[in-house]
Amino acid sequence: MKSKFLAFLGSALLSASIATAGGYQVNLQGQKQIGMGHVGTGLVLDQSSIFFNPGALAHLRQNGIQLGVSALTSKIAYRSLSPGISEARTDNPMGTPFQAYASYGAEESPWRFGIGVYTPYGSTVNWGNYWQGRFGLNELSLQAIYIQPTVSYRISDRFGVGAGLIISTGSVNLQRSIPLQNAFGEEGHIELDGKSKTALGFNVGVYARPIDKLSLGLTYRSKVDATVEAGDVTFRIPGAAPVAAQFTATEFDATLPLPDNITLGIGFMPTERLTIGADIQRVGWGAYKALRFDFNGIVGGQDHTEAQRNYKDSYIYRLGVQYKVNEMLTVRAGGYLDKTPVRSGYLTPETPDADSRSVSGGLTLALSEKIDLDLSFSYINKKERTDLSDKSSGVPGTYKAVAYIPGLAVNYKF
Amino acid sequence: MKNIFHKIGAALILSSAFFFTGCEPEFENDITVSRGELNLSKYVAVGNSLTAGFQDNGLYLEGQVYSYPNILANQFSFAGGGAFVQPYFSEAQSNGSGYIRLAGISATGSPTLAPVTTNLAVRTDAQPLPGGPRLTKFADAAKVQNWGVPGISVLSSAYNEYGNVNPYFERLLTDAEVTAKTTYIQKVVATQPTFFSLWLGNNDVLTYATSGGVAVASNPFSNMTPVAQFQAIYQQLAGGLVQGGKAKGIVMNIPDVTSVPFFTTVTQASVRRSTGNDQLVIYIRDEAAPNGARPIADGDYILLTTQANLGRQDDVTLPSGTVKIPHGFHPANPLNDNEVLDKVEVAEIKTRTSELNAIIEQTAKSANLAFFDVHAYFNNIKSGFSMSGINYSPAFITGNLFSLDGVHLTPRGYAIIANEMITRINAHYKATIPTIDVTQFRAVLIP
Repeated sequence: MKSKFLAFLGSALLSASIATAGGYQVNLQGQKQIGMGHVGTGLVLDQSSIFFNPGALAHLRQNGIQLGVSALTSKIAYRSLSPGISEARTDNPMGTPFQAYASYGAEESPWRFGIGVYTPYGSTVNWGNYWQGRFGLNELSLQAIYIQPTVSYRISDRFGVGAGLIISTGSVNLQRSIPLQNAFGEEGHIELDGKSKTALGFNVGVYARPIDKLSLGLTYRSKVDATVEAGDVTFRIPGAAPVAAQFTATEFDATLPLPDNITLGIGFMPTERLTIGADIQRVGWGAYKALRFDFNGIVGGQDHTEAQRNYKDSYIYRLGVQYKVNEMLTVRAGGYLDKTPVRSGYLTPETPDADSRSVSGGLTLALSEKIDLDLSFSYINKKERTDLSDKSSGVPGTYKAVAYIPGLAVNYKF
Repeated sequence: MKNIFHKIGAALILSSAFFFTGCEPEFENDITVSRGELNLSKYVAVGNSLTAGFQDNGLYLEGQVYSYPNILANQFSFAGGGAFVQPYFSEAQSNGSGYIRLAGISATGSPTLAPVTTNLAVRTDAQPLPGGPRLTKFADAAKVQNWGVPGISVLSSAYNEYGNVNPYFERLLTDAEVTAKTTYIQKVVATQPTFFSLWLGNNDVLTYATSGGVAVASNPFSNMTPVAQFQAIYQQLAGGLVQGGKAKGIVMNIPDVTSVPFFTTVTQASVRRSTGNDQLVIYIRDEAAPNGARPIADGDYILLTTQANLGRQDDVTLPSGTVKIPHGFHPANPLNDNEVLDKVEVAEIKTRTSELNAIIEQTAKSANLAFFDVHAYFNNIKSGFSMSGINYSPAFITGNLFSLDGVHLTPRGYAIIANEMITRINAHYKATIPTIDVTQFRAVLIP
């Protein structure tokens, strides 16, 4: 049963988009939280605490399963540096980041056991084969899937701890044009495609509710390295022998850090119906120093490529409110500010990142005692950013990104 | 206070963005375009083969379409520029004068160049001119705005028989104008441009250089142009174009001949690599040396066109009898004077180039015209540069800038030059004429 469940998740198209967060982090891990600025570390909302705070999971009274999905439409526009006027727009496929959480524990037991499957990192961007920056990037698809068995222990009504083991898997596909044209004027092309090795990490959290009207949470999710070994390299290049001699690679190795996160959350419940939450999250993007591909042969005469990224640690500030209108309806709103980890001079078309502002809203409909339906909508607007990209081998210019993300989850409680 | 309103406004817009705007990211500012102090209603390009769009050792339709004047005119059109008429070859004769294409590259990297001889504009109904076979005349010669004439120099621009010499000039003249001995200067000055580009003078040294420093007795334009004569004609030409200050323009000077792959591609080291013989020595003719030949030295340049002759088995008569000796690889069969630009000739040419460039720059300054120091530009990029993920250098074939003749540019090379010109025009005339995405233009096509 369990394996069938995982196979179903594995076959689902799990992807997210670049426009969702700083770097390639995806802030879409629970539909209730998405509806209120993705606040959740200091709150006990539902089974998604497996992601937001394993320490809070044991404070859920009911067992349950939650399945959620977001439909992410992101668009990025590019304009070359003045006096250039060339523009380009991405044609990104709709991303469908997915969340599944389940928890179980005997009613009076202080223990809760859970499992979560979610996509904390990912990026899909498609600039096409014609834009000015195509020798930097045509298309990138990056996915990380975390499977997290979790245990949570309720020390008292006011205190809980929890920990989860992260089992990470994922894939990468990167395509770019090669500036060599054949006799028909067709440009060369390279595609790197690989699956990352299974890697381990952990997610730990503590939850406290010192007084009825106030709750606190603190979590740490460790860094995981997504490592691809012997991924496939495919070329399309002119046939002349001296050219072919410059492109002999068939396999590549690469490692991409999935950075650690420390999140401090606070919840304030002034009345029975009203919850106000705020999170501050530090993302360890400083781990992303360079994007390096090592080849088993050569590509354009080089046995490796290395482009500097030099990210810095960044902070995300979140605020959200939830109001329980009646037994059937709960409404939410919130927003966040996500400071970019990308330093000046390091912008790239893979992640043309800038400070992100997001606003969101959502609601929960209690369809029956056992079934809830969560709906969310979030809008992300990244600041327009102009960069010389002279330190990252990127594509200089001005970038602007927006994203629209409706989402839906079904909760079954038992 | 205003800032606060701005922020509140932004927040409101943000929250309602989904409902009030489309799903598209929008830039805060529109694109800025401005013609500054310029009137671009009539642009005329004055120059030689580089201005005509000559590439791959020929002038043909593709090169004309991607000539730098046509790219400039296209960009000018964003800032009030008018129509721009180029003397195109017809589709049926799109290969114009004919050209060379890259048919293959050997495993050691030696290119095989093949001539394109179909769909030419070469006339067989009339006698050839001293400068080559006649070409189909351009029907609307009176409207021509790209006056790039392959082969023309400052010296020949004032020569009243030039219509009877150069087929590229002849095809832009009516028969009456040829008979009336109309000069190139008369033609271009009569166009009365509001803006012009002037890139002339290369052939006042280059024709001599590409002949290995050998002037041909029958060709009055095959030597280097004397400085005084250059100055007189150049100032007459520039003065005529400026029309007492009515027209503005950009002036460009003469690149260093040793910055182009025609002179830098074939070296003793490259020949050693391609022959696999690292002991090989190349000999060149030198009257001052014992036996009239010496090993090639630093500062001597073998012409790109000499490559085909290297190692050719020639019959050489020695006291011991007639033997076969590979051309250039033995003091008894050295490279000829017209196959090599030796260091004495290089020095002569460099001196003359700087003398002529001083005149060009002085002319530009005194008429307050924009100036593009192409000489400095090509010398600065000798070690290469990178742009939009593409590496560029003056290397033959692989450098992306120079076409298969090693002197003229690829369409992408011309587009880069056009952008460099726009940058200088913008700076000089306080304009914001947009540059073009050079990646949309081809470099050398690799089979």
